[in-house]
Amino acid sequence: MSWNRTLFALAVLAAVLFPLVVRDPYFLHAAITVLLFAFLASSWNIIGGLAGQHSFGHSVFLGIGAYVSTILFIYWNVPPFLGMIIGGIIAAIASIGIGYPCFKLRGPYFALSTLAFTEIFRIIATTTEQVGPVDLKGAAGILISFRPGNSFVNFQFAEKAYYYYIILAMLILILFIHNWIEKSRWGLYLAAIRDNEDAARSIGINARRFKILALMISAFFGAMAGTFYAQFFLYIEPILFSSALSIEILLIAIVGGAGTLMGPFLGSLILTPISELTRTYLGGTYAGVQLIIYGGILVAVMMFAPQGIIPPLAKRYRMLFERRA
Amino acid sequence: MIGFIEATISGILMGGLYGFIAVSLSLIFGVAKIVNFAHGALFMVAMFLVYWILVLLKVDPYLSSLIAAGFLFFFGYFFQRFFIEPILRREKETAPLTVILLTSGLMMIIENVALLLFGADYRTVKTGYTGKVWEIAGLFIAQPRMIGFVLSLILILLLGLYLRKTNLGRAIRATSQDREAARLMGIDDYRVYKITFGVGGIMLGFAAAFLVPFYFVHPAVGELFVLKSFVIVVLGGLGSITGAFLAGIIVGIIESLGAQFINSALVESLIFIIFIGCLVVKPTGLLGKQRE
Repeated sequence: MSWNRTLFALAVLAAVLFPLVVRDPYFLHAAITVLLFAFLASSWNIIGGLAGQHSFGHSVFLGIGAYVSTILFIYWNVPPFLGMIIGGIIAAIASIGIGYPCFKLRGPYFALSTLAFTEIFRIIATTTEQVGPVDLKGAAGILISFRPGNSFVNFQFAEKAYYYYIILAMLILILFIHNWIEKSRWGLYLAAIRDNEDAARSIGINARRFKILALMISAFFGAMAGTFYAQFFLYIEPILFSSALSIEILLIAIVGGAGTLMGPFLGSLILTPISELTRTYLGGTYAGVQLIIYGGILVAVMMFAPQGIIPPLAKRYRMLFERRA
Repeated sequence: MIGFIEATISGILMGGLYGFIAVSLSLIFGVAKIVNFAHGALFMVAMFLVYWILVLLKVDPYLSSLIAAGFLFFFGYFFQRFFIEPILRREKETAPLTVILLTSGLMMIIENVALLLFGADYRTVKTGYTGKVWEIAGLFIAQPRMIGFVLSLILILLLGLYLRKTNLGRAIRATSQDREAARLMGIDDYRVYKITFGVGGIMLGFAAAFLVPFYFVHPAVGELFVLKSFVIVVLGGLGSITGAFLAGIIVGIIESLGAQFINSALVESLIFIIFIGCLVVKPTGLLGKQRE
């Protein structure tokens, strides 16, 4: 146990020192994307991993977070850090509306119904040009103009290292929350629901209520990632609501190991650089190569390690550890 | 008024094809409980096959539909054999989520390989009947849509006959009703799954060929159909062929009328809203009997 903690502390230390050692903005940019997707996949992990409800709708929350904070920022000058919280709360409320019907369903039906929700949101975001005074610009997306300098009020930084430390702190926060939920009584309820929902209900666990609660937390953090995305890339578009993005998030968590603490991080560490590299070196006509590689990894993982990479690794690691002891 | 009737007819004809595609999906979903996200990708492969045969060899799509159907039978059969069956054998029970992720991975591969090979152009073909209409009682009906509808209807009737009258068809129905019991009666369930996937492929191959004369061919064309097909399958009732066909027609009518009188994009989302409502209120669908 203390060995685990030492390892975790070392990893955090390495992550904190990374921008001091690596000065190249390209690598720093890539590292931020890795952390962003690790954070996103970790937020999915609360509903998808801990509660075992493989939602195909996580991009809805990402999109809500991005649009809410951006609109508040552009039209009413609300600092994005505040917009992040507001977006999170709106996403959590929306997640009740999504979870209520969807949690009546299980397995493939649950997956399909959450997928239908992302499609509904994507279509609405694509076709809506104007809501009251707010110009949503439909399919064209919204550009956020850059205000020079390093400002926490504007959540815009000329130096990328700021973004890096913010997303790192967010990731560490969600890992702690994940750990806390997993060890709490409520986390045990979720595990019971994941392993056998009928059995969990028969001993008096209100499955729907706990699932909705997990989805709300998951949605809140998903929306936070949306705000970060908007402020980092300074451009949002309806593709943020797409099912393809939902699948990408879920893929990262599942490749790493759904339900495990570090799975999403490991998944992002493996998958995000692939997409960054293919985008840099093969972009344009070969844009599809990234998705071919993703698809191949997904197929291979499902066929040979359906639990993700972490569980077999953990097994080996434990064996190694025990032999030493 | 004429516009309304024509839009309805056009919706029914397109809906018939939707229903036909959904029938092939429903067969796989209903019998093997497999959510095949790669269905649209297989559909796209068949469309490109028909397209290239037409462009390079000048063979009529309705004739080459036989080739597409035969090709997709084997494609479906081996798809099940090499990708899905190992998972089913390992996990004993059908593991829906593993299979969903597996098939979405395969979808990504197939679609993007097609994108690399053929590019992102929207291709259309010119046949003797593209754009031709029949005038019946003052109404104009597009010929390729009408032909596609009639042929789909005939093939669905044949499929129904196959499932009822042949031994293999009975085995498929038995496995879909109760896999364990079917096994105890000596049915090789894995073989049934492979055949079912193959038969679903046949239907899909025909549907693709019927669509080519009046639709565009594009690497992502399957995505337009696959989600809609799931909606139709659930709406019609899982495993019900008649239900899927009727639900297809309903969706076709909603889409066609909506595109003419409301806004085609909003109608898209209306279909998904109906889908969620249907799943929650009446998960057995229009004609489905019992939910697993």
